[in-house]
Amino acid sequence: MRMPDRLVAGLRCAEVLEALPDYLEHALPPQGAQQVEAHLRGCDWCERFGGEYAGGVAALRRMLAEPPAPPAAVRTRLRERLAALPPPTPRNG
Amino acid sequence: MPGEEDGALTVPAATAAAEDAALLAGTAAGDRTAFERFVARHEAAVLRYVRGLVDDADRAEDVLQERFIAAWRGAAGFRGGAAARGWLLSIARHAAQRHRRRRAGEPATHLPLEELARQAGFSQPAAPDLARAFEARELVERGFRALSPEEREVLILRELEGFSGEETAALLGLSLAAMKSRLHRARLRFLGVLRGEIDAHA
Repeated sequence: MRMPDRLVAGLRCAEVLEALPDYLEHALPPQGAQQVEAHLRGCDWCERFGGEYAGGVAALRRMLAEPPAPPAAVRTRLRERLAALPPPTPRNG
Repeated sequence: MPGEEDGALTVPAATAAAEDAALLAGTAAGDRTAFERFVARHEAAVLRYVRGLVDDADRAEDVLQERFIAAWRGAAGFRGGAAARGWLLSIARHAAQRHRRRRAGEPATHLPLEELARQAGFSQPAAPDLARAFEARELVERGFRALSPEEREVLILRELEGFSGEETAALLGLSLAAMKSRLHRARLRFLGVLRGEIDAHA
């Protein structure tokens, strides 16, 4: 299926798709950001998709923010192995 | 507006970096208590990162152990100033790659961007349940696990560990532009997988 490609505010949908990551991280120059914003205001496809994209990024960050604690057995085996190591040799030079 | 999304990341604080540097200095002098605290601070993040790269749990555990053995032996070589987490992960990465087998049937990650976007919902009908899926931890994790190691890796570094774009690119050995492209594609794949999950259970 062909992607819809509207020209809104001087930008095509495909260009907005490419610019989305920088736009969300506020990494676009002011003029570029304004152009993307104007496109999003005038293009319901891109506004919806941009919201879903941002929502997906936020979901990843939020739900996986803290790494789960390793299983107790993994932690125990790691400590056993490390405890058996000889002292580190000082670095030469 | 999508632009209102809160882009705040949990950036490792300068104090945490200073504490890590102190713990590694102690480790280099043979202080096992300092090393124990260093391990406790980072083992969960290292294991998550390695599990992102290596599917087999036993192999991942091997890499975790090797990584901290190398940290014990190499603590004197740590250059203060660099984030200890990045130092750990960059060496874990090399270890994981040695263990990693190229799997047959890698997901089609080299589709044109527009096709990836279409699978992610661009130009597609709205997925009303998507917002709810974002709130369901189990679904988010399942979607994440369905990605390729390469896709998971860039998401872990950038979204979960909160490394900057430049730091993430350096850890991956990519240019900033190539890292951004990989990140964009990984996010689109994640969205596509979630939409697939929703459709499958509709």
